[in-house]
Amino acid sequence: MGVCLVSIFNKIMNTRFLKFFYIISALLIIQSCKKSGCTDPDALNYNIDAQKDDNGCLYEDYDKLSLLTNLADNYIIPSLDAYKSRIITLNIHVDSFIENPSISNLTLLRTNWEEALLSWQDVGFLDFGPSEYILLRKQTNTFPIDTTELNNFITLADWNLEYTSSYDSKGLQALDYLLFKPGHTESELITYFQNNTNAKNYLKALAEDLNQNISYVTNQWVSYREDFINDFEVTQSNFSTNSQGSSISNIINALCLHYEFYVRRGKVGLPLGVFNGFSQLELPELVECYYSGKSTQNLVRSINSLRKYVTGSSYLNNDNGLGLDDYMDFVNAEQNSQQLSTVIDNQFLIILDELNNINGPLSEEIINNKSQITQTYQELQQLVPYIKVDMTSALGVLITYQDNDGD
Amino acid sequence: MTGINKWITHLTKKNVSIFPLVVFRIIFGILMFFSTLRFILKGWVYDLYEVPTYFFTYYGFDWVSPLSPPFVNILFILLLIACIFIIFGLFYRINTVLFFIIFTYIELIDKTNYLNHYYFVSLISLLLILIPANSYFSLDTYFGICKRKETIKAWQINILKLQIGLVYFFAGISKLNYHWLIEAQPLINWLKHQSDFPIIGKLFLYDFTAYLFSWVSAIFDIFIFFLLIDKRSRLISYFVAFIFHIMTAIMFPIGVFPYVMIASTLIFFNDNFHKKIIDFISKYGLLNSSKSIEEKTNYQTKTNSLLKFFLIGFFTLQFFLPLRFMLYPGKLFWTEQGYRFSWRVMLIEKAGYSQFYIHEPKMDRKMLIQNRDYLTPQQEKMMSTQPDMILQYAHFLSKTFKDSSVVESNGEIIKMGRNPKITADITVSLFNKGSRKFIDSEKNLSEIKRGFGNKEWILDYED
Repeated sequence: MGVCLVSIFNKIMNTRFLKFFYIISALLIIQSCKKSGCTDPDALNYNIDAQKDDNGCLYEDYDKLSLLTNLADNYIIPSLDAYKSRIITLNIHVDSFIENPSISNLTLLRTNWEEALLSWQDVGFLDFGPSEYILLRKQTNTFPIDTTELNNFITLADWNLEYTSSYDSKGLQALDYLLFKPGHTESELITYFQNNTNAKNYLKALAEDLNQNISYVTNQWVSYREDFINDFEVTQSNFSTNSQGSSISNIINALCLHYEFYVRRGKVGLPLGVFNGFSQLELPELVECYYSGKSTQNLVRSINSLRKYVTGSSYLNNDNGLGLDDYMDFVNAEQNSQQLSTVIDNQFLIILDELNNINGPLSEEIINNKSQITQTYQELQQLVPYIKVDMTSALGVLITYQDNDGD
Repeated sequence: MTGINKWITHLTKKNVSIFPLVVFRIIFGILMFFSTLRFILKGWVYDLYEVPTYFFTYYGFDWVSPLSPPFVNILFILLLIACIFIIFGLFYRINTVLFFIIFTYIELIDKTNYLNHYYFVSLISLLLILIPANSYFSLDTYFGICKRKETIKAWQINILKLQIGLVYFFAGISKLNYHWLIEAQPLINWLKHQSDFPIIGKLFLYDFTAYLFSWVSAIFDIFIFFLLIDKRSRLISYFVAFIFHIMTAIMFPIGVFPYVMIASTLIFFNDNFHKKIIDFISKYGLLNSSKSIEEKTNYQTKTNSLLKFFLIGFFTLQFFLPLRFMLYPGKLFWTEQGYRFSWRVMLIEKAGYSQFYIHEPKMDRKMLIQNRDYLTPQQEKMMSTQPDMILQYAHFLSKTFKDSSVVESNGEIIKMGRNPKITADITVSLFNKGSRKFIDSEKNLSEIKRGFGNKEWILDYED
């Protein structure tokens, strides 16, 4: 019996197996040469003449190159450029405010700071490649601000913003503190700057530092784009997989890390007190933009941008292109027998819906409207497993992020 | 009856050439040397044995704890040295013992790092202790430390072949499940990320390819051993095995495993083949194989009955370990009860997300644990899908907070008591069918004993 089996398999392995393989290959090639009949208008290979769907819709034209090219050219690069131009404008207004600290210049400066910060929410989660290299997020938007250190810098006229230890005294949140200094009316703030050359210099240094960092990133993207879309990676194999270091892995890891730790936890969870021991006492001073009270609009903006990015929409005109959602559909990722991409998008919408009910700054709403914020937090929390478990495993990405405390 | 006896004698007591064993020793030594070196150079000694503050030990092996930083590095250096000694066959017995103990010790430290091929290496190195792979073409014979011989007893090679055969066979058997055969999971998902694979990449976009790969690999695994032992099918089946392993090496991040299997299966080739390899090495190497043979066939192994019982026990255990999962209720891939040590390679796609809570005694307040405070990302990832690790971690948390006080931000002091209650909210996704609740989130995990009993607190998997 054993010998018989062995000899049969021997024959199969020798001849029939190979023939079988050739035939199968040939069949596949012939099949793929047929005119495709995709009837799904959303598909890339939608055939308007097709009468019958051949289940071949997303396959033919789907590839990582198009996905990465779309993300790079239609979202990442334009959004980084937009943020950079906001920072350049911010610098101009800092200059004119320093030259002439007037109420009208202060108002202009504040408005432009606000725009710059909103624009930052569009790029905060792109923390890979050049951005990751210079720790752009930490350098740009760390909060809460160490006001004691910041005031020491100004008093002693002694600071070096390049030191990692200065990261919680600089960036857009340091401007939040300086431009909306607690206990200062607008005219008091004007007086403060008029009489304080160090403060003016510090303001200038902050703006220049922001400019320097984003300029580095946009300059690097000129050459990094090529590596990014061709999925250049450091692993041993020389073609694309979604292993650590590949573009897909970078995108997803940065996205999950940013969302889980800096949006869900940093912007809402920590101030709400979810992470504050047993008592779960609120810590409203931990919100983003504590001094200006602009936390809610920035949270809304960051959720909107994340949604836009996941769906592969164009930064400038919102045209829907190839995004992570299409990639999830391509691998038939499901959640509760619904398409995972739909589930994730719905969750984004639910969160945005909850956010609609929040009017004031988060630091106040956490106290006055706690049930609403708690509800919102739960919806934010619900998205974590969807993206961190379902999306990553559907896209074959390993979550690799390391410990990273505080924001 | 006599037929079977004759067959058994043929497989165990017959005198056979030592050449395959010698080549196996050298290749195994070289492979282990480079894979250990790779491990060190990638910084994994630091990442896996120095960074973590907590280690997931195996049940019954909780006494295994990692050495402090300088010593754990020394262990890896010792492994490298042992490999070199094994390659050259110098002080072979001591070095195989050393290799087996150090390697196994390292693997026992943390089950986060469990890999089937580490288990395989442990087993093979244990078997190598028992067989005289240094009796030819070695420095031990060169210096007269042990007697040179050209023939050995058949069992001394056949136990290695049997071990390799068991690996393939059970790897194949474990593929005979609904997901692998009927759904082509997890390959159907994994292959779609591989469409840039040279030449045949585009074929990976078709579900058919995943089915083809699933079925062919299951058949391959089950029958490869039988094809390798038959000399008529040996060459072609080795060729198929070679292609198979190279493809898995390129496609999946499974490290040196494919190369270990490619090299190990060479042992099935005949004496002449191995003689040629030895001649080739001796032509360029230090050792001369063409010296006169001092001792030939009259070498008598005292059939040590202890050894015999050990080997019978060893292989019986190996035969039943992969089947022990059948003693547990529930879905194997979901509960993973009886999953390890069973040659289940690349069988599941699973990911999880866990949140642990510690409860205030007699109150309903609870505190969310930051897993990152205690675990590395890799540990957290592995723990979140494996119930025995979930339980271990819960016990660790309970122990950490036992009899301690937590000071709240408002100055309130909370005493944790003797056995703090731990619960966990865990969602797991299996084969990308969507994350769902994994365990009973009301259950106080600190009260549940560890062990091999069924973990009834794992929720049923609902399709």
